[in-house]
Amino acid sequence: MAKKDKLNQALLSGNEALAQGAYEASLRVAYAYPGTPSTEILEVLSGYPEVDAQWSVNEKVAFEVALGAATAGARSLFACKHVGLNVAMDPLMTASYTGILAGFVIVVCDDPGMHSSQNEQDTRWVALYSKMPMLEPASPAEAREFVKEAFAMSERFDTPVMLRMTTRISHTKENVAVGERKVPETLVFERNAPKYVMVPGHAYQRHIFVEQRLVKLAALAEKTRLNKIEKGDSKLGFVVSGVTYQYVKENYPDASYLKLGMTYPFCDEKIRQFAKSVKKLVVVEELDPFIEDHIKTLGVKAAAKDPSFRIGELTPELIPDVVAGKAKVEQRSVKRKPRLCPECPHWASFAALKKLDAYVAGDIGCCTLACLPPMSALHSCVCMGAGVTFHEGWRKAAPDKPIVGVLGDSTFVHSGITGLINAVYNKCKGVILILDNSTTAMTGGQQHPGTGLTIRNEPTKKLILEDVCRACGADHVDVVDPKNLEEFRAMLEKRVNEDALSVIISRHPCKLIKR
Amino acid sequence: MNSKITSVTFGGIGGQGVLTASELCSWAALYAGYHVKKSEVHGMAQRGGSVESHVRFGKRVFSPLVPTGGADVLVCFYQEEHPRLSVFLKKDGIDLIGYLDKVTQAVANPRGVNTCLVGVLSAKLSIKEEHWMKAIETVFKNKGVEENKKVFLDGRKMGQP
Repeated sequence: MAKKDKLNQALLSGNEALAQGAYEASLRVAYAYPGTPSTEILEVLSGYPEVDAQWSVNEKVAFEVALGAATAGARSLFACKHVGLNVAMDPLMTASYTGILAGFVIVVCDDPGMHSSQNEQDTRWVALYSKMPMLEPASPAEAREFVKEAFAMSERFDTPVMLRMTTRISHTKENVAVGERKVPETLVFERNAPKYVMVPGHAYQRHIFVEQRLVKLAALAEKTRLNKIEKGDSKLGFVVSGVTYQYVKENYPDASYLKLGMTYPFCDEKIRQFAKSVKKLVVVEELDPFIEDHIKTLGVKAAAKDPSFRIGELTPELIPDVVAGKAKVEQRSVKRKPRLCPECPHWASFAALKKLDAYVAGDIGCCTLACLPPMSALHSCVCMGAGVTFHEGWRKAAPDKPIVGVLGDSTFVHSGITGLINAVYNKCKGVILILDNSTTAMTGGQQHPGTGLTIRNEPTKKLILEDVCRACGADHVDVVDPKNLEEFRAMLEKRVNEDALSVIISRHPCKLIKR
Repeated sequence: MNSKITSVTFGGIGGQGVLTASELCSWAALYAGYHVKKSEVHGMAQRGGSVESHVRFGKRVFSPLVPTGGADVLVCFYQEEHPRLSVFLKKDGIDLIGYLDKVTQAVANPRGVNTCLVGVLSAKLSIKEEHWMKAIETVFKNKGVEENKKVFLDGRKMGQP
């Protein structure tokens, strides 16, 4: 629950404010898999007894359960980081067709500058691709307001609504007014095959609906207060969205602004009007030229950033160069790199791999940090679960090398199991090492099916990883504590040299687990 | 840049309590009636990497990030991070690095270093002591409010001219 002062103001991060707003908007279910910078949304929501909050196995599952709840009458929320949205893309694309019964909000937190991510994809394109509306708050206080708008819009237009945050909104705190919860409306869940059974005939009809909906949403974009013109000096006008608004306003407080809070579909008329009202029009946006490209299709003349600024996040001091159309001057980061904690059990596991001179197919999580010197013992990291599947690919392409696949326990449950079944089925040999520190460590120690506890730390049925691996058909499954260095090394060496598919579970709890 | 905004840059490495320090400053500013913005980093950066947190307060704050050369005060908890962070400091800004050794020596429990340095900071900002006290109560809730108030006041004394 938010700490408040006497004015009912709390110091809330964007994620906390969003959770608070969703709660006030009579949210009933919220599902997610943890991922920086989105994790706190579900952590906060799990504190409200009225909200059914869960850590799901992965984003696809979370999305589907949340969509199911929304189609059956409960206001629902799905939250993820940008790359998490990729995992949920399959249900997402068709959710646009089915629509909902009760409001459904898809929260996605992008990470420009990759503070804690493997890429800096711009998920605004997903709104365009899936033909769903997208809202973009520019501050934590707006995150609370916009999520309420999103639920109302979702129900009014029978569509999931995307709400895009970025790291600098999610992890900025500010004064946020806190309100009361609205009592949820009772909606009647009924079977509706033409709407929810997406066979070709039904889906064709729903596609017609989607195209019509997009036209209606574009009309809304012209009127909504989320797209706001701030009249200032008519010599210079900016089109901005998200945190970029704050950076530009800091540098050019007297200019005119078209601040887009709804970034898809676009408010074409408002853009044209605003362009006419100013002498020079400049689009400033982080990452891809999403607004810029669209404005060009309108035939409106606008200055925009040099393509070099599509890389990395913007900061207030970069804005004058961006506005002037200058190229980005790359600066070497002098920031201290993150590293495995001194007592981390992964040190021992990777020391053994290093001694073996193994080619290590890696994964997402704390284990990724082993790629850095002095360890330098992890040689790939693309996405969750790829520690298992890269291992198989490398084995096929380079059968003579000592190849080991590595991933964490939470990641194994997220998407490593399917890869393991694939390896067994396709007769792949080799060693998969599950670094089981019994938590989702990198994102701050969240529960998962293997910990036997829910998001609220309530006991639940515990997934036994070794049983899963045996059921998948691995030839050998061993559980070893990596802190027993000699035993662990011997086991690894033995298994690597066998003609079998083995899973070694390197089990030692993370030191940072809160008990 | 808006001259009426006060900007403070906090920096150190993961595990030093940098985010708690900036949280204290933010609540004190909120209780003093200001609009506050605080930026911080989570996740990977906390694994012993550089941690940076910016606090800005005033009538209305836009950017949550302090621009380079825009900090009125720099609060650095780790000597090796200081050269990197000093680019944030205004030409006439106040650098608290000179207090780091003094504070480290004065504080019996190393976990109090961050609160003590916030005490030093409080002497350089125009926020009343009562707001800082309330901030300490809010941030530490039932865990060590009195100890933190004590080390805070020790720091506040050190920071006075």
